[in-house]
Amino acid sequence: MDVKLAEQFMLKLIEKSSEYGFEEAEASFMNSSSMSVDILNGEVSSYERSSDQGVSFRGKINGQMGTAATTEFDDDALDFLLSSALENIGVLNDEDEHFIYCDPNNSNLRYEALSPNYVKNTYNRFAEIGLDLEKRILAIDPAVKGVDYLSISCGTGPQIIINSKGLHAYRDDDSVSIYAGAHAEKDGVVKSGGYYWYGTDIDEFNAETFTKELEKRLMGKFGARSMPSGSYDIVLGNEAFISMIMTFFGNFSGYSMMKGISLLAGKEGETIAASCFTLKEDPFYEKAIYKVPFDSEGVTTRAKAFIDKGVFKTAMYNLRSAAMAGKESTGNGFKSGYKANVSASFTNLVVEPGTKNFEQLCETVDDGVYITELNGLHAGVNAISGDFSLFCEGYRIKGGKISNAVEQITISDNFYSVLKKISEVGNDLIAEPHGEGEFFCPSVIIKDISVAGDAEE
Amino acid sequence: MLSDSNISRILEAAMSKTADFAEVFYEENSARGIALLNGKVTGAGTNYDAGVGIRLMAGTNVVYVYSSDKDPDTLIKLALEAADALKGGSPAEIKALEALCKSTPNRIMIDPMKTPKSDMVDFIKKASDYATSYNEMITQTTGSISTGNRLIRVCNSRGLNKEESQSRIRLSFEVIATKGNEKQTGRIAPGSMRGYEFINEYPIIEKTQECCDTAIRMAGAGYAPSGKMPVILGNGFGGVIFHEACGHALESTSVGIKSSCFTDNLNTQIASPVVSAWDNARIEGEWGSYMIDDEGNESSNLQLIKDGILTNYLIDELGSRRMNMPATGCSRRSNYSYAPTSRMSNTFIANGSESPESIIADTEYGLYCTKLGGGSVDTATGEFNFASNEAFMIRNGKICEPVRGATLIGKGQEVLMDIDRVGNDLELSAGVCGSISGSVPVTVGQPTIRVSSMLVGGREAGEE
Repeated sequence: MDVKLAEQFMLKLIEKSSEYGFEEAEASFMNSSSMSVDILNGEVSSYERSSDQGVSFRGKINGQMGTAATTEFDDDALDFLLSSALENIGVLNDEDEHFIYCDPNNSNLRYEALSPNYVKNTYNRFAEIGLDLEKRILAIDPAVKGVDYLSISCGTGPQIIINSKGLHAYRDDDSVSIYAGAHAEKDGVVKSGGYYWYGTDIDEFNAETFTKELEKRLMGKFGARSMPSGSYDIVLGNEAFISMIMTFFGNFSGYSMMKGISLLAGKEGETIAASCFTLKEDPFYEKAIYKVPFDSEGVTTRAKAFIDKGVFKTAMYNLRSAAMAGKESTGNGFKSGYKANVSASFTNLVVEPGTKNFEQLCETVDDGVYITELNGLHAGVNAISGDFSLFCEGYRIKGGKISNAVEQITISDNFYSVLKKISEVGNDLIAEPHGEGEFFCPSVIIKDISVAGDAEE
Repeated sequence: MLSDSNISRILEAAMSKTADFAEVFYEENSARGIALLNGKVTGAGTNYDAGVGIRLMAGTNVVYVYSSDKDPDTLIKLALEAADALKGGSPAEIKALEALCKSTPNRIMIDPMKTPKSDMVDFIKKASDYATSYNEMITQTTGSISTGNRLIRVCNSRGLNKEESQSRIRLSFEVIATKGNEKQTGRIAPGSMRGYEFINEYPIIEKTQECCDTAIRMAGAGYAPSGKMPVILGNGFGGVIFHEACGHALESTSVGIKSSCFTDNLNTQIASPVVSAWDNARIEGEWGSYMIDDEGNESSNLQLIKDGILTNYLIDELGSRRMNMPATGCSRRSNYSYAPTSRMSNTFIANGSESPESIIADTEYGLYCTKLGGGSVDTATGEFNFASNEAFMIRNGKICEPVRGATLIGKGQEVLMDIDRVGNDLELSAGVCGSISGSVPVTVGQPTIRVSSMLVGGREAGEE
């Protein structure tokens, strides 16, 4: 749908909302166009293209906010959205006020970051890259039995917010990504591994380095064995550390804290992590592909530390949780889709890197485990208490060097204890897409982690 | 809704080049629900979305396009572009659409889409009030009721022309018990394809009390031990072990490309002889049921394992082409924005003959998991893990102290062989399964079973 037509619909929706008794009103629109190519056995096995859009309405009466959403854009849809939202207000009795907002100095927010390279994302280009990549992966080793999943995809589409207080926000960007997973078999033992790449210019994808990394992740797993249970110092690899922080990051939501769901409630200003650990948010981080100048409530974002040298500086606040806490919004109110409610999320997260490289981290640990992957993060954790018991993969560290691969082990501890047990932060920063932007994070050393295995050495 | 003639035009456009098969999938979803936090209504929502997915196949090559724009000319243009992008194949004839055949797996007494939201609010509030007055350790309650109607129309170049209406309702309620810094949860989340009568008949107070008891018990529990030990898995959601450890690896998504650990295992023993298992999409009123799948094929009651022998895979159209075996009516998708693929419906281990009490009594030392959380599996290696939400130690055939934080890990192939006892108390439990075609409602289920040896990841040293 043409953006101009969507905007006309949204303005009409807001205009008509007062007829239904709404005191304040807001409309959100999202359009997404995507394309993906999957490769299997030397052929393009699947090609997908899409164009999807929807609009949501939220309106306020007596402090309560009614919502409704649809994919339709006709006159019936106007009535559906407004009457449904009104019906919903009829049952709401939320104690905490919701807000529709516009900063008069920043009422027209615009971020257009469409890459000129997006036009390179064609079926033929994706097919060519994918077929070549599949060949390279199969050539890694005769043990590689299949590339089970190889997908190249790209997406773009604007998000628009218009409200009765004068806000007109527009954001548009794009991305392209590649994921490949393969399995290999040696002497009846099967191992699987995968790797990904993302960016905004498909020409920056390097098949050679991608294949090398995938080789490490797949073939490195052979010869794995379990290990004796006990307490070990671990190097928690950058990817594994990202997945751990992300699992528990909901506890940094101001709303969860105000509602007493997060154990971080009342701890702003206190030391909650080791002094070597700083976790900050930077919407304009120079290494980030995605910049995020404003959130889904029309609040401009800013750089800040969540944890500064171990001290918990601030939680993520949106307009509502900030009002509950008697604070200002930190610009962390985001919607994950047009249908979603505003909740706490972030722009770009950065764990401040230390000075040691990965090899030096292993030398420091001397006798321990290097954890590369944490599995079952949606299952083996208590997201509130921070307790976890996770099936993981990695390598034994002996004499300060990487030794054999380990499998069938779990590590158990508590997230809040882990933050305090970080003894070193490395400098091997990697980036992964998370939240509204990316998460930049190095590997770390965690002292005394309980490892459960079932083998002698 | 698209007319027969417009659907035929789209199919003609899709088949205009080299496709040997084309399918039009039209979908409308209406959803409404309420959410409460500590007895206050903090959320109430209403959504409607609709869209169309067009799939073309040439052998095992697939092109899938979808759009929320239902204008016939836009869709014809999309179908022509898809036809251009499809590689291989040779033109095939299009059969005229058959007369529309309508179905529904529902038998609804009270329409949940018309039930006043205030009724839903009152129901959750009753549970919330009960929980907060039950024990002062209960510090938080959250609850929701959501209902949805899904109308699908599937038409294809073979003349298939079907429509199904599916209505689902789900209740979710969770309590948090706090003891010092320790917070533990107890939850229920039953789902059904019955009407609002399902909610009216649900024993909410009894179940709320169970939730509170679990949360309170676990908040005071010590950590689970680590190491290999016999594990008894309680009935109902305990079936997530089978769903993860076996079910996913029987889907043609992985078997069809020979990446599953159960590839080429048909008619061989993959489980202990005490294990029989089914995937039955035709159980009336059950959360994971449907009469036609998202390819328009009739759903089935499929025996997956008989006395330990693998008898069937779950096969969709694409899997059927890859494996040269008939589709089993198990093709599903979250919505029109996904191409369908082989998925589970109501999947469970069948009843054995033993009482759960005798299984516990015969266990000298081990872990008894009464409530399991979610899990995940690598279908290539069979490695899985899942969490226990409530567990107890067993000593000398008796249920002893509760333990928290246990993760169960292993390889599907090994665990299936290690099931040595199967109870007679089969129960099904609603869940949502995520995979490449999105999230779909499924039930998992089993009677009480015992795995003779399984790795438990806990925080304390195990006993020898």
